[in-house]
Formats: sequence, C-alpha cells, structure tokens
Amino acid sequence: MILAVQMKVERVIALVVEDDDSDFQLLQAAFGRTPGDLQLHRTDDGESAVAYLSGESQFSDRSRYPLPHLVLLDIKLPRRSGLEVLQWVRKQPGLCRIPVIMLTSSRHSIDVNRAYDYGASAYISKPETMKELTELMGALKHVWTRWVEFPTLEKRA
Amino acid sequence: MPANPRPASPGQHKNSSQLDRELQSGKIFRLLVERIQDYAIFLLDTDGCVASWNPGAERMKGYRRDEIIGKHFSVFYTEPDLAIRKPWHELEVAAETGRYEDEGWRLRKDGTRFWANVIITAVRDENGTLLGFGKITRDLSERREAEQRYRLLIEGVTDYAIFSLDPHGVVTSWNTGAQRIKGYSAEEIVGRHFSSFYTPEDAETGLPRHVLKTAAETGHYAGEGWRVRKDGTRFWSSVVVTALRNEGGELIGFSKITRDMSDRKKLLDTIQQHADELELRVAEREQTNAELEAFSYSVSHDLRSPLRAIEGFADMLATDFGEQLPEQAKIYLEQIATATRRMNRLVQDLLEYSRLSRIELTPSAADIATVIENARQQVDEAMREHIHVTAPAGLQAHVHEPTLTQVIYNLIANGLKFHAAGKQPRVEVMAERLAGKIRIKVCDEGIGIAPEHHDRIFQVFERLHSTSKYPGTGIGLAIVKRGIQRMGGNISLQSGPGKGSIFTLELPAA
Repeated sequence: MILAVQMKVERVIALVVEDDDSDFQLLQAAFGRTPGDLQLHRTDDGESAVAYLSGESQFSDRSRYPLPHLVLLDIKLPRRSGLEVLQWVRKQPGLCRIPVIMLTSSRHSIDVNRAYDYGASAYISKPETMKELTELMGALKHVWTRWVEFPTLEKRA
Repeated sequence: MPANPRPASPGQHKNSSQLDRELQSGKIFRLLVERIQDYAIFLLDTDGCVASWNPGAERMKGYRRDEIIGKHFSVFYTEPDLAIRKPWHELEVAAETGRYEDEGWRLRKDGTRFWANVIITAVRDENGTLLGFGKITRDLSERREAEQRYRLLIEGVTDYAIFSLDPHGVVTSWNTGAQRIKGYSAEEIVGRHFSSFYTPEDAETGLPRHVLKTAAETGHYAGEGWRVRKDGTRFWSSVVVTALRNEGGELIGFSKITRDMSDRKKLLDTIQQHADELELRVAEREQTNAELEAFSYSVSHDLRSPLRAIEGFADMLATDFGEQLPEQAKIYLEQIATATRRMNRLVQDLLEYSRLSRIELTPSAADIATVIENARQQVDEAMREHIHVTAPAGLQAHVHEPTLTQVIYNLIANGLKFHAAGKQPRVEVMAERLAGKIRIKVCDEGIGIAPEHHDRIFQVFERLHSTSKYPGTGIGLAIVKRGIQRMGGNISLQSGPGKGSIFTLELPAA
C-alpha cells in the first residue's frame, strides 16, 4: 500500500474576513513587514465569506478567488457573525477540515469558549499595537507556511 | 299579692312532727340524711310547712331545727318570688307531676341570698294520698359565680369574637368582641346559621360545612381567611373552632374564636408588596447589568478598533516614512503613540472596574503567598527587585483569587510608581493571620498622600498628580477598593506627605 504524503503547500492562501478597512490594511502591512510568502484574500462580511468559500456568484472564478488553506475570521461582522460562518464551515462536507483562526478584538470568555465549541482551530485576540501585530503576523506566517500540514479538502481533491 | 311567710295553723304543725317521727323510725335512712352536710334535705307537710331539718339544711340556711320546724318554707324565698307566689306554685307542680326542679335565688336566715338548685318531690303513701314533700336544696352560689365570672369574662372580651354554635352551626351565644368585629348584636344573630359570616365564594364551596366537619372529626379547626361583616365589608380573620362534647362524648356544639387580623394582613400585604417591588428592582437591575455587560462588550470591541488604527498608522508613518519626516513630526508621532497607549489602558481599566462591580465573585480558598507571587510576576522584570515580600506559607484567605491578584498588583504598581525623586522605589508586602482574618500590608517609602486626599484616591479618575509626572489612568486604586469590598474585606490607608504609604487589606481567612 502506498500512502500519499501530503506535500507542503507551495504558496499558502489565507482568506481574511474583516469588516474594518483599517484593521485589514494594518494586517496587510504587518504581513508585509515579515519574511515569508502568504497570499491574502479578503471579504468584508459574513455572508460574502460564505459565498467566497462556496465559490458562489462572483467568487466562482477560482483562479481569481482560490479556495484558501486557512481562514482568519473576525467575530463581529455585518450580516453574519464570524461564529455563524464558523458553524457553517464545519457543516460543509468539502470545507469542514479547513483551519479557521478567530482573530478578533473580543476577549469575552463566552466568545472564546463558543468559538472552540464550534470548532475554531485557534482564538487570537487582536494585538493593541502595530509592533505586537507585526510580531503576531510574523509568527503566524512562519508557522503556517513552514510547519503546518494542511488537510485534504474534498473539493480540492 | 302579699306574701305569707307565717305557719298556717297549729294543726298543721302537729301533722309535721308526726311525719318527722315516721322518718326517725327509719334509723339508717335518718343517719344518712343527718350526715349529709352539702345538701339541705328536709320534709314539708302538704301545706309547705317544714317538717324535718338536717344539718346540711342548718348549715346552708342558718336556721336551727327548733327555729324552723313548723314554719312555712316560703321564708326561704325572695320578695319577687313571693310576689308571684312561687313557693305555692312549686308545690302545686310537684303535687301534680311528682317532681319540681328549679334554680334560683333563696334567702338565708340572715337575709343573704344564695343560688340554689332545688328539687321538690311529692311524698305519697301506698294509697296515693299526699303526705307531704321532700325537698333537696343545693347551694350552687360558687359554681354560679364562677360561671358568671367566666361568662362576663368572655362577654367582656372585645378583641376576639367568642361565640358558640350548636352542632348544626346555629349561633347560640355572642360576646362583645363578636358584636364589635362582626357588627351583629346578640339579638340579631343568635339563632342564625354561622355561614352568614362567610363570603359567598367560600359559602358556595362549602367551607362552613368543612370547618365544622373538621372540628367535629379532629376536635379542632384553625384557619385564616376573609369573612364578611354585617354591613357586607370583608375582614381578614384568624379562626379557631373547637368541638364541645359532653362527658358522654356526644357533640353538643362548637366554640368559635375569631380574631380580626385585617391590620396584620395589611402589614403582611405591605411587606409582600415591598418584597415584590424589591424583586422587580432586582430584575430591573439584572436587566441593567445585562445591558451594562453588552455596553462594556461593545466598548471593548468598538472603542479599541479605532485606537488600533490610530496607533497602527502612526507606527507605519514612523516606520515607513520616518526618514523623510522632520524631527518635530517624529515627536508628534511619538505623542500620538503615547496617547493611544494611555487610551488603551483607560479602556481596559474601566472595563475591569465595571466588570468588578458587576460580576459575581465566587470566593474560594486561596494561598496568599502564591497570590502575592503571581501579582509580583506581573510587574516588569526590571522593577521586581524593588519588591520585598514577607508571607508565611500556608496562609489561606477566602477570596476571589484573580481579583485579589489584580488588587495586590495594582497596589504594588502604585507603590513603585510614586517613589520620591532621586530615590530608589521600595515596596514591601507583608501578610499575616489575625483572628479569623488575613491582613496584607503593602508599604512604600514614596511621596505619600496627605490625609485630606485619603478618600479621594479610591475614586474613579481621581488623580493627585499630572499624568506627565506620574502616568496612569486614575482607576487603579478604585479597582482595588471595589475589589476588596466585593470580596467582603476592607482597606485602610496610613500615609502622609513624604512619609510613604501603608495600604492595609483585611480579608476573611479560609
């Protein structure tokens, strides 16, 4: 029997679901300041996140909107909250294994516990300063591009 | 009609003495009668003249034998009785029916009255010829007095309605209290069924019947409820019904004691109302707390995000374009960064303060030395050497550990911050057990606080110094005080300008 060995991904794609333009800009800047290669895509509310992940309507072109390896998900979002998106993701046969990292300014224990209950891969509260944010993004990029093994997603397979 | 107390004639006197002899011939019977002290037992001739006299009669009525034999028995009767010729009437009845019984006032020789039970029996020979009468009199004065006293006592009671019912629930007696409470006079209500006192609703569900049934079966019924006065108004009553049984165990009626508890009921209702109101307030407060919770949640989320933007873009400006900026611009950027950091701490401290005021702090046993060490660990490493801790192992306080850690950290940070210019900061933390309490002292050798400011420093946003001299949010000590209070402890301060400060915490020991 030959076991297929999962290869490290060439270029990690992350979908950032973030409604705050400033926060996204800072996040991009922080990624830019750190070494390594990670491609960022963004949707700015819960509903479009679901549309992006399902490849619906304007997101059907996977060459422009590729299925991400990783989702960075805010909680407080217009239309559909991050926790709702997370629950939806975990119910989709083709998407349920995708790593979802909550990245939010809430430190509410209710949010934290609920996120893990719903199957979040990690819960990170947004750093207060650019310095800390850069540190965090550097660490994330390092771990997720260099060390993490990604699951097989049904749709990709 | 005039009275006739004198003996009728000498012939009748003779007749009496003959009867007396007859009786004396029956020796045993005579001895028996002679010995009886408690009853007056004597014979009358057919006309009513006294024919015999026993010691009981002498004792009761005061006449010696020789004084009374031959005299008409009407001498024992009072004026009003004589006026209606009662003695003669009694003999007539006894002669006709064989027996007459009566209770009433009789006179002693000295003219005083006593309450007597009298039985007169006709005495006839074998042929049915009337020979005379036997008379037995009992002095019931004491019993009557006791009954009278008792009756007066009950009648005089005004705070309780005390009345009696026959076995079917018909009112048979009525006291002043009953009249006062229920509004009926005795004449109006005696003879009526007691269900008139009940509300139509209770009467319909058969409560009156249930009350009597319970009392009859168990001897007793007690309850509270609405009753109706004569005028239709209602009052809250406390009722006790007791079954009355004679010696044979036969139910002869009920006694009923009713108390008007309207005032107490009103009081209880008022208390209940207050309790309800309080409950409502608590509910409202819980609602407010929930709203506060939601508010602080959105503060934490929404207030921080523009702050992050300000800080982030200022940082990016400095990092990405620092080279091209004039020195003054870099200083401004630094000031923006400082202000955002301060704002961040303010938001955080305010949230912490509101959280401390709001949330339930569930206390448990906490090791004081560990708590102090955890607080110390939160201090910047470079500053830790200025903290000196004396806490014996095994000291346990009954506290909410995270809150106490925060409190001690705030006090330590406070002590380190306010050190005198040109002097090394030094903070001492000491813990000891003292009669059921844990006492923790946090002492510094800093600038101290004038006594007039001792209360102010524990309030939110109160500062004694400018932020440029001593940075901080002005919330730290307010958190300390609130936290200590919420854990059932207290805090005091000894300090004066230039003398350093000693904050003393007292907390329940575990």
